[in-house]
Parts: sequence; C-alpha cells; structure tokens
Amino acid sequence: MSSNTFERGRVNRIRLHVLPTTRFKTFAITLYAGIPLEEDQVTSTALLPFVFRRGTNHTPETIALRERLDDLYGAGFGFDVFKRGNNQFIQFRMDVINDAFVQSKESLLASSLRYLGEVVTEPLLENGHFATKYVQAERDTLRKRLEAIINDKIRYAAERCTEVMCEGDPYRLHALGNRADLPNITPESLYERYHQWINEAVFDLYIAGDTSLAEVEKLVAESFKLPDGDIGTFAPTDVRANARDLKTVVEKMDIKQGKLNLGLRTGISYGDEQYPALLVYNGVLGAYPHSKLFINVREKASLAYYASSRIDGHKGIMTIQSGIEIDKYERALAIIREQIADIQAGKISELEINQTKAMLVNHVREMQDSAYELIAYDFNALFSGSTRTGEELIAQIQAVTVDDIVRVAGGVQLDTVYFLRDRKEA
Amino acid sequence: METLAYPGVQETLYREVMPNGLEVFVLPKEGFQKTYATFSTKYGSVDNRFGVEGKPLVSVPDGIAHFLEHKMFEEPTGDIFATFSNQGASANAYTSFDRTVYLFSATEQIPANLETLIDFVQHPYFTDENVNKEKGIIEQEIQMYQDNPDWRVYFGLFDAMYHAHPIHIDIAGTVESIYQIDKETLYKCYETFYHPTNMILFVVGGVDAKEVFELVRRNQERKSFPPQGRIIRSFDPEPATVKEPKKQLNLPVSLPKCMFGLKETKVGFTGEELQKREVVTRIMLDIVFGASSQLYQSLYDEGLISDSFSHEYNASPEYSFSVIGGETKDPDTLISRVREAVDKLLAVGINNEAFERSRRKKIGGYLRMLNSPEAIAGEFTRYRFRGGDLFALLPLYEQVTLQEVNDRLREHFDWNQLAVSIVAAEEQTS
Repeated sequence: MSSNTFERGRVNRIRLHVLPTTRFKTFAITLYAGIPLEEDQVTSTALLPFVFRRGTNHTPETIALRERLDDLYGAGFGFDVFKRGNNQFIQFRMDVINDAFVQSKESLLASSLRYLGEVVTEPLLENGHFATKYVQAERDTLRKRLEAIINDKIRYAAERCTEVMCEGDPYRLHALGNRADLPNITPESLYERYHQWINEAVFDLYIAGDTSLAEVEKLVAESFKLPDGDIGTFAPTDVRANARDLKTVVEKMDIKQGKLNLGLRTGISYGDEQYPALLVYNGVLGAYPHSKLFINVREKASLAYYASSRIDGHKGIMTIQSGIEIDKYERALAIIREQIADIQAGKISELEINQTKAMLVNHVREMQDSAYELIAYDFNALFSGSTRTGEELIAQIQAVTVDDIVRVAGGVQLDTVYFLRDRKEA
Repeated sequence: METLAYPGVQETLYREVMPNGLEVFVLPKEGFQKTYATFSTKYGSVDNRFGVEGKPLVSVPDGIAHFLEHKMFEEPTGDIFATFSNQGASANAYTSFDRTVYLFSATEQIPANLETLIDFVQHPYFTDENVNKEKGIIEQEIQMYQDNPDWRVYFGLFDAMYHAHPIHIDIAGTVESIYQIDKETLYKCYETFYHPTNMILFVVGGVDAKEVFELVRRNQERKSFPPQGRIIRSFDPEPATVKEPKKQLNLPVSLPKCMFGLKETKVGFTGEELQKREVVTRIMLDIVFGASSQLYQSLYDEGLISDSFSHEYNASPEYSFSVIGGETKDPDTLISRVREAVDKLLAVGINNEAFERSRRKKIGGYLRMLNSPEAIAGEFTRYRFRGGDLFALLPLYEQVTLQEVNDRLREHFDWNQLAVSIVAAEEQTS
C-alpha cells in the first residue's frame, strides 16, 4: 500500500493532497470545507452549495454552466452537506476522465479545477450580494429537501433517533439545517455568511489521478481565488456519554412496517486506541450477515428483513436499525438487548471474531481500488489527528482480543429507543 | 481461452465455454487489490410460465425467482454468508426482472471464494421448514418496499403500462403469492434455470485469467448436469395500449411523486440492434430532459421539478419504455408543460450542437463507469443475456448520427402511449 501516499502542499488557505496514480481512467477530485456546527448558521451554510451551482461571475446562467460540464465529457459534479463530529462539512466532488481516452483541446483536469474554483470562490454576485433569483429558487429547493426526509421512513427514523439522543448538543441539528430559518435568509445575509465561511472554513482539496503535486499547485493557484489567512481549525467533539436514563420515544404515521431504532453511546472515537476494538465489537454485534443481530433477529426469529448496527466514529455513537412487524416490538427489542448484553458478558465465539476481522480487513484492502475511498480514509485520519495507515489499522484489528471487545462493550450505554409505528391503537 | 481486445477502452477480456455449457469471462485489472465475481442466471421475476423443449409449460407463483435467491444461501452446513465471512469476502445477491445475480468481493483467498460461489449456487437445499421460515423475512421485505414512495411510484408506472407482461408484477411478488411457494416448485425452477447452459460467471479484478478458467474447469468436472433442451418462456400477448393512462395511490409524502413514460409498440429487437436503440434513445432523452436542457431549467424555474427529476430508458426484446419524472407540486401541469415542449421540439428537431454535447457526455459517463468492477460485471452480464456487448458501446456512441436521434424522437413520443404514475398524500389529492 506504500504506493498510496498522498503528496502534501498548500496554496493560500487550501491544503492540497495529491495521489499520483495511473490505476484509474479518471481524475477524482474532492474538496472538503468544514466549519463548526452552529444552530444559527447551519441553514445558511447548507444553502451555499445550492446557490454556487447556479452561476458564476464568468458563467452566470445555469444552463451554460452545466453545458461546461457536458463539454468536459460529462464530468461528474456533485456536492453533499454532512456532519462530522461537531462540524458541518460541505463536500464537492468532481470526476472527469483522463485525457488519454479522448481528443480534448485542453487538459480536462485543468478545466475541472477551473470549474470547481469558480463555483466556490467566484459565485455570481449582483450589487455585492448573491443573485436574488438563485437564492430564492434554491431556498425553495432546500426547503423541499428538508421536507422530503419524511418520505424515506428508514432515514426518517434514523434522523429522529439521533435528534432525540443528542438533545442539547449541536449534533442534534440536521446537516441541511432547519426549515424555519429559510424565510429569513436573504441574498445579503447569505453573502455575509459566505464571506465568513470562505475566511474561516478549513479547506482540504484531494486529487487522485495521473498528475503531480506541482501541476496541481499551479492549477489551484490559478483557479481558486481564496483570501490569504490561517488554515483554520475544526471544532472539537466530546464523545463521552452524559449520564441520563434510557429515553423511549414512539411516533405514529401511516405505515405498514414498524421502524425500531436504538441509539447508544460508546465513548470511543476514530482517533482512540480502542477504535479498532470498537470496529470488531460492531462487526460481532450487527454490521454483517454473520453478526448477532442478523442471525438472531432475522434468521432465527424471522422478525425482520434488516437488522444491523453501525458506528459513527467521529461522534462516538452507535445506532441499531431494524424494520419489523409492528406488534413484534417488544420481542424484537428484547432480542436486540439480549445481543448487547451477551457481548458484555463475553459470550463471543472465536468464529464470530475471526469472521468479523476477515471482513474488516477485506474492507480496508478494497479501499485501495477506489480513488474516493482512499481520499475519504486519508481525510478521516487528518480530521481526527490520527496517523493510522491502512496497514496499521489492519494490524490493530488483527490484534483485538475477546477481552478488548468486552472492555469496549462495558462502556456501551443504551441511550435512546425510538419506534415509528402505524396509527392503530396499541 | 478466447482473447477479446478492446483497445479503445484499454481493456482485454478473456472468455471460455466449459464443456457443460457454462460461459466464463475474466477481466484482469492490473494493480487492483479486489476481485469481484458474479454468477448469474438468465432467470428473473418475469419468468413465471416456462418449460423446456418437449415438456409441458408450468406456471409458478409471483416472486419465486427472488424467493429462490434468498433460499440459495442456505446449505445443510448452515448459512453460506458465514463461509464467505471466514474467507474475508462480502457476498450478496439480487433479482431483477430478467436475471438473478450472486456475487462476492474479496482481496484474498480468491480461489476458495470462487469455489464457494460456484458450489453454493450449484447446490440447492430446500426443506419445508427452511422454506416456511423465509416467508416471514420476505414478508417484511415486501412491507418495507410498500412503505417506500420512490419504489411505489416507479413500479406503479410499469403496472400502469402493461396489461399482460409480468413486468407489471413486483419482483418480490405479494405477501399472498409468496405463501403459495413450496420446496417442490422451488426445485422445479432451480432445475430449469440454474442449468450451466443458462448461466454466466464473470470475474473482474486482480486475477489471472488462465488460473480462473483452470479452477472453474476442474470444479465443473466434479459435477454432472443432465442435458437440457432449450428453455421456453411463455408470455400472454401484450396489447399495444397502456393499461391505465393514469394510476394514483396514497402514501404520506411531502410532495407528490410523478413518473411518466411512453410504452413502445415496436419491440423484438435483440443483440446489437437492441443496444444501438438504447444508445440512440438515451442520447435523445438526455437532450430533451437532461439537467442542461432548456426544458429542465424552465420546469425547475417554475418550481415544477426538483433535483430528483430523472429519465431513463428500459429496453428488452419483449418490452421497451421510457421513465421520466420525480417529485412535483403539480403532476398535471408538469405533464402538460412537457407535452408542449416536446411537441415544439418535434416540429423543429434537435440541433447538432445539443446532439454533439450529449454524445460527449454519454461517452464520458461510459468511460467513468468502467472504473467500477461492480458496474462492469453487472452491465456486461445484462447485455450478454440480451445478445449484446458492454465493451462495444464506445464505437456505437461514436457512430450515432443526428438523423437517427431525430428519427427516434419522432418515433418515441406518441402521446397515445403515455402512462402516468402518481404517489401523493391524501390531502394532496383531494
């Protein structure tokens, strides 16, 4: 894996991470911009990329801006807004083919970086603020996006469970913000937020493909008109559990299948020494088809089609999700809690551990084949202040013992039970 | 071993047909850690009435192909997922309208994982008990999709279009139909469709083609399959008209979801001809409905569509239709705006600039897709079962002419063939 070393550089406020490789048919570009998650700013920040994509000073009209992507052999361009610990990230991604496959007048990488640089650092302005028609339209788009969360019941139940669990913590906020804030966002106020964001957010630009750090430095210096200044800092995240009694919330909706979600605190985050043991713990409990949840909730009791657990390593949270027949709530919950208790009591077989380790190791190795996964892994480490390489992570996973898992299990605390059910009387 | 070179996309594919008829493809990817393998049968949810040459036809309950896929993972020794886990592989499977695919991805123990994949798919183990146990699990899977508005509006459109062809039936069947399934019927389906002559093994990643063929050859030599005649799939004749011009159902959603499309009457294309039609139609639909089209932008400005607006073209030898739409505040206005715009375009035709731009975009999208072993294996098999070739797409895109795209535009948009599917909350429809 030594060939997967990123070369590091810096241009104005942007840190550069370049992976020169000829393994892919494309250039993969990811720009991360992170800023502390704050209730009064979360919605404005989320709205920024929606407005960016509508027009730049160079190409004000949306159709023309999108045609530029088409002309780059249909370059992929997308953005995402998400939380990582107590930070709000806007992530931009571009995916453009290597010039070797086509006859192109100018470098597709250069054109793509110019596009991204323009969209983020030279958005369309009129009279010193964002274009009114774009702000209005995208406010509406963001509102619809927030309202649509309820359409996907699996996702809705997961979001509600986190909200209940993180009451009083910035993490309860949705990454896309609050609907109620939208009417108050004006082209002027949004531009003010932009000004702050461009000066304070931490920018990390990753590129994997057939290029070099020197080439990228030159292209970024030409295309990203960012102010000078410090790199900035991420907001710290406290992952320790705040002791409180188990909270149970039941909600009703017109649905056929019940959604049972559990929120648990692990007290362990990505950079911690215990993190590899937490990965194994989560694998034994619910990440795979050989895990206790799948075997006992689905295969043995036929109660569900899906029953799984996952960890949020940056917030120290574990969640369990399952779709069940509504009147089987008590039974499903009892079986799930029994699995958690079993691991705490050390009821873990050698086979379960070996299967889990093999799956985790395979996952780390498979990462090497995807440019975006390599980028995401490196950024996770950077964000967490961890220097754990893929090889080191594999070695640490292999070394995890039953005692290590039991120690992790001892610190896992069930915090919230959330159940979404139909409207019939119980 | 046959070598198929595709210099345009810098790929070399190897092919070998085993003595028992199993077709095997290997695509080595230099520098890749991962190996991804799919073992697929040309058997999906639409194959609900069939036979083999010289024997009577049988009808089977809806959802049985998908049920069979679930049950294949069980062996007398236990769940096959556990075996894959021991060998560090992630395994999975899926059933579509016309195929069932079993797969794994792994970075080590590739020979062991390949043997496991081939052996479990070639070894059915159904008992009354394990078949009954599965019904509760699949019932929950069906309920999960029943609550999913995107799923309902999408497959609702197929149901609105087709009277007779089983593409209008849910892939997983219904709660009622799956309770009619028993082990005897499962074996019947298995024996017909899981014969080596009806299957393809595709391996892509950091592997050596010779070694893979050698392993598969030895594996197949240990097994015997009775010879089987040609499989006959029987479908009732499908009327030209759509079944229901407008189909609506209620679910709790923030905004109505509306998918519409045109059911084509000229079908029966196979192989390269079918592939060419797909290529031309996809370029045509992208020009009309793509994110950089005039129509897309004007609908977005009017608040009639959101980023969820999409378009696709589904074509097989037996059916073909477009699927267009997304969430909208006003399905009726959306449809009438689309009709006005398309009618205008029909009068003047598509211009060369828009055509060339879209062609470029499609070529780029195709090349980007070739980065993904998962997409290569899935798409290759899909085309192969229909007599096409995934790696022949680049020249097809390069050869398309503006004239063909305009002809396709005029042929496709026959408004008599329009069907609309809507999912809305109760208060949105009153």
